[in-house]
Amino acid sequence: MNVPPLVLDLRVVRPQRRPVRLWLPLFLLWPFALVLAVLALAVALVADGVLLALGRRYHHYTVLLVRSFATLGETRGMVIRFSNQETAVDMTVQ
Amino acid sequence: MSADRSRILDLLAGGKITAEEAERLLDALAASASGAKEPAGSAIKGDPEPLIAALPKYLYVKVLAANGDNVNVKIPIVLVRSGLKLTSLIPPLAMDKINDTMAEHGMSVDFNNFKPEDIDELIAGLRETEVNVDAKNGDTVRVYCA
Repeated sequence: MNVPPLVLDLRVVRPQRRPVRLWLPLFLLWPFALVLAVLALAVALVADGVLLALGRRYHHYTVLLVRSFATLGETRGMVIRFSNQETAVDMTVQ
Repeated sequence: MSADRSRILDLLAGGKITAEEAERLLDALAASASGAKEPAGSAIKGDPEPLIAALPKYLYVKVLAANGDNVNVKIPIVLVRSGLKLTSLIPPLAMDKINDTMAEHGMSVDFNNFKPEDIDELIAGLRETEVNVDAKNGDTVRVYCA
């Protein structure tokens, strides 16, 4: 897994207006995300245990959650740009 | 195990390259090592770095609309692979809903049929695929890896 995204660089350019550039420090959200992740993992573990005990075929909520976080971690390097005649928006996950 | 071989296996384990690509790199490494009369460690013969660097790392989607609206998206291929692998873990009920909704929008892809080995093949194929659409109204769409 790569290093999770640290910063979201957002640039908005509009004609005859000052360009806006924002560095959103995603790393500041990590501690909160960690708490949520631990809680969610605990719930998922219990749910999977119950589903397994009931003999259900699907009991992969914990793995789903872990893989989801891993997928979020892979978003680093993604760039989304869109523009029309009035506005240009540039979003980079770093 | 040589450092180069170890690096390739690390890339495979980390999901950076597919099993097929790792095999190709290892073959190239073995071929260059066996055919090499030069001392080990030669930059051209034994170093897989250029081969690894040559692999596309991003999927690009570019839409240029005739009315001036442009969209340009650059997605890391590791993210595409990770996302596709995630589909195999989505609960069946949710997956059925996703499949139904996609079918309603004209994309009848059944993600239930996706197997990890298919995903590796898909990614390998994607790396060599280029889609160019030139619409009648002047819109153009390009999808490619680089």
